[in-house]
Amino acid sequence: MDSNGIGRSRPSSDTSPLFVIRAVAKAMWVTLFNLFRKPVTVHYPDKERAYPDRYRGLLALVYEPDTGEEACIGCRLCEFVCPPAVIKVEMLKSEKRNYAKTFSLELYACEFCELCVQVCPTDAIVMMKSFDLATADRREMLLDKDRLHAIGLQHQVSWATGNKLRDMQGPPKMARAEHGAPAAPAPAGAPAAKTAGGEA
Amino acid sequence: MPAWITALIAPFIVLNVVIGLVTYVTLLERKFAARMQSRIGPYRVGPHGLLQPIADAVKLMMKEDVVPTAADKTVYNLAPIVFLIPCMLIFATIPFAPGLGVADLNIGILFFLAVSSMEIVGLFMAGWGSNNKYALLSAMRAVNQIISYDLPFIFSALVPVMLAGSLKLSDIAAAQAGGAWFILYPVIGQLAFIAFMVSTLAAENRVPFDILEAESELVAGFRVEYSGMKFALIQLGEYAHIIGSSFLGSVLFLGAWAGPGPEYLGPLWMLLKAMFLFLVLTWIRWSFVRIRVDQILTLSWKFLMPATLMLLVATSFVVVWRAGGF
Repeated sequence: MDSNGIGRSRPSSDTSPLFVIRAVAKAMWVTLFNLFRKPVTVHYPDKERAYPDRYRGLLALVYEPDTGEEACIGCRLCEFVCPPAVIKVEMLKSEKRNYAKTFSLELYACEFCELCVQVCPTDAIVMMKSFDLATADRREMLLDKDRLHAIGLQHQVSWATGNKLRDMQGPPKMARAEHGAPAAPAPAGAPAAKTAGGEA
Repeated sequence: MPAWITALIAPFIVLNVVIGLVTYVTLLERKFAARMQSRIGPYRVGPHGLLQPIADAVKLMMKEDVVPTAADKTVYNLAPIVFLIPCMLIFATIPFAPGLGVADLNIGILFFLAVSSMEIVGLFMAGWGSNNKYALLSAMRAVNQIISYDLPFIFSALVPVMLAGSLKLSDIAAAQAGGAWFILYPVIGQLAFIAFMVSTLAAENRVPFDILEAESELVAGFRVEYSGMKFALIQLGEYAHIIGSSFLGSVLFLGAWAGPGPEYLGPLWMLLKAMFLFLVLTWIRWSFVRIRVDQILTLSWKFLMPATLMLLVATSFVVVWRAGGF
């Protein structure tokens, strides 16, 4: 056991009595201050916190709001984009529009990346404001089409849908129309105009 | 009632009250600690978590009793009991009200100080009998630390003894009657109280002096091999020791059962003062980080020991001066 003084082995620490007393008082004050504050705990099963608008929770399929038909057209875009490949879709050809014959989602392997929602052309697959996924049986997390539709009616739908996300992330539509017009006389101009022409 | 019946019943009552108190003090500490961290603490078992200690006790009783193959079985099994007995014995001399206590010895405080440091025997037995390097290292650290802090603890506890002129705890309490609590005694009282609290913390191995239970280096310390009811006994002993020291502190410095209201409220005031001291110890626990081994020993031998010794000498001068001895 070395016989250093308190903190002597660390040259940077101040060991003057005033410093130590002030440090002790400060530490005791912090805990005392917190003792009389309201706890931050939310009693979860009894009370739920408000979800953020773009919460990425449970996945679900929704119906068309105006016709009441299934929104999914079975295009399999979500199946192709899914990084862990948990979505399997079979298309059902029909004369007016197509449907999903089967739609299965292995929620236990899902990584909640939201890519399927982003690519969906008909806003059929969405995320819910819910993280209530716990179950005693792993097989219950293999969701089929009916189950996904049922989940869509159970919880609140998150803000993000495919079309909204594409509108938000793409360039503004008006600006794109104006962009084409000044690009035409550009080749005679400066190098800066050349890149603009290249884009067009 | 014959005296021998009282001698049998009184310890029985005190023991049960102490065990019940210790059980619920764990809940008090958990709630208090939780509020310091802006949490709520145990809440689900019973209203506001009031049944949590019972749930914990049932859980510990249900647990499998594991004895390591390489352990020294006799020592290993005996250690929790040897550890618990001194921690319970310290309640014997504490007067909870005038005439209310198991044994109001003439040398009450001496008995308390002697018995309370006996817990290191059980602690070292636990560390040695487990046949585990972490347990042994932790027990060695504990013995090291408890021996180092015993002298400051005794010296600071002797200050009220000298002021009261008696080793009998009820006499010390009576000397503070009428609001002349020893913590209010100019300068000497406050210094002795601070020294008492610091050495109590160290003797109980509480934060910031809890090096014997360093998760990163010693896992759970000397009780790493204990589980179930044996673990519960060790835990019970530790908390009983803390509560016992809190009661001693309230007798020595806070005027024991003195308080407003009729005389039969005495034990309640005593309990409130002891709980207050316990909460102060808990408050310190949740405010600081642990300090190194060498810092702990330096604080004891180079600072606290000489300081309390000087305090003791100063107290004797004051006592003689007040008595008109100069």
